[in-house]
Amino acid sequence: MAAKDSPLKQFEIDPISNIELGGYNISFTNSSFAMLITVLVITLFLTLTVNTRSIIPSRMQLISELMYNFIAQLLSDTVGDNGKRYFPFVFSLFMFVLIGNMVGMVPYQFTFTSHIIVTFALAAVVFIGVTILGFINHGIKFFTFFYIPGVPFYMHPLLIPIEVISYLSRPISLSVRLFANMLAGHTLLKVFAGFVVSMPFFTGVFPLAFIVALTGLEILIAFLQAYVFAILTCLYINDAYHLH
Amino acid sequence: MPQLNPEFFVSQLFWLAVFFTFLFVFLWRVSLPRIATVLEKRQNKIDENLSSAKELQEQAMGIEKKINDQINKAKLETDEKIKETINALQEDVSSQLSSLDKDLEKKVSNAEKEILKSKDDQMKNINNEIANITKLTVRKITDVELSDGEINKVIETHKGSFN
Repeated sequence: MAAKDSPLKQFEIDPISNIELGGYNISFTNSSFAMLITVLVITLFLTLTVNTRSIIPSRMQLISELMYNFIAQLLSDTVGDNGKRYFPFVFSLFMFVLIGNMVGMVPYQFTFTSHIIVTFALAAVVFIGVTILGFINHGIKFFTFFYIPGVPFYMHPLLIPIEVISYLSRPISLSVRLFANMLAGHTLLKVFAGFVVSMPFFTGVFPLAFIVALTGLEILIAFLQAYVFAILTCLYINDAYHLH
Repeated sequence: MPQLNPEFFVSQLFWLAVFFTFLFVFLWRVSLPRIATVLEKRQNKIDENLSSAKELQEQAMGIEKKINDQINKAKLETDEKIKETINALQEDVSSQLSSLDKDLEKKVSNAEKEILKSKDDQMKNINNEIANITKLTVRKITDVELSDGEINKVIETHKGSFN
């Protein structure tokens, strides 16, 4: 298969304008453009729909309120009252990933959440933030997070390294989950799109129908992954408050 | 795989930082407080309406109680009035009855007196009549003219027999 037809070609980054700062290449690329669209969609939607601040909401305002309540409920369910101060962050994270995924579903639009560097950066912010939070809340005692009470003492040499590794792998699992889902979904769509063109006669409608169904599934996954990202962030924040 | 090409890592990270920071600050400072205000306003409105509904309900209950009290009071008053009226009527009737009795007694006694008086008068007249009849009868039968004195004397002597 020629390189220009590769299903991975959609993930290639094309600079729109070349910018260089302090020797680093910080070109504004199609990925940056997708981020810009995402941020614009979120900010404009959440601002314009709530502009009237009416007590009886319009349909659009209701969507904004539903999103607000969805994340607020998620935070209060997992973290409790402590979680309120992290609400803007978790909400931003959820909306950024959700709308980023959705923008990626638009044909010919770039999906920045399919890039491991982006998802890893987001996960790293969560991981570092939660770790700092844990040390602020518990000081040196935060290390007891790796000590599981109620386990026979001879198990600890085994369990403590496992706990440490599982803790350290959090940002990796968090980022790879989102990245791999997006990568796989979009690759699959692209592969089947190739079938539509290459299959003889009218048989191309079968992969086309499959693409339609798959698009529905991808939209579901787009939401689901954003939700998973948000709920795991909430759980990690909860861990920073409540050790075992 | 383009994802592993480090050529644009810095660019990606830079623009991610820029856009995500902007998004976070904007949502934190502008959008979320707006939505929070709306939700709070709605909750306040709901609470306000609920509390005013409760207040009104309490007021209604108070008014209902007042009405019931007044109805009871009115009932009691009416009962009292009816009783009083019945008593007054009974007293009135009995006093009127007694006065009627007195009246009747008086009338009866008066009538008795009159009857007695008229009886006496009649008796006096009867004596005269008897005397006249006697005089007339004697004159028709015997052609003797009796004087009143003689007749009265005879009548007096026989008075016991026809009385």
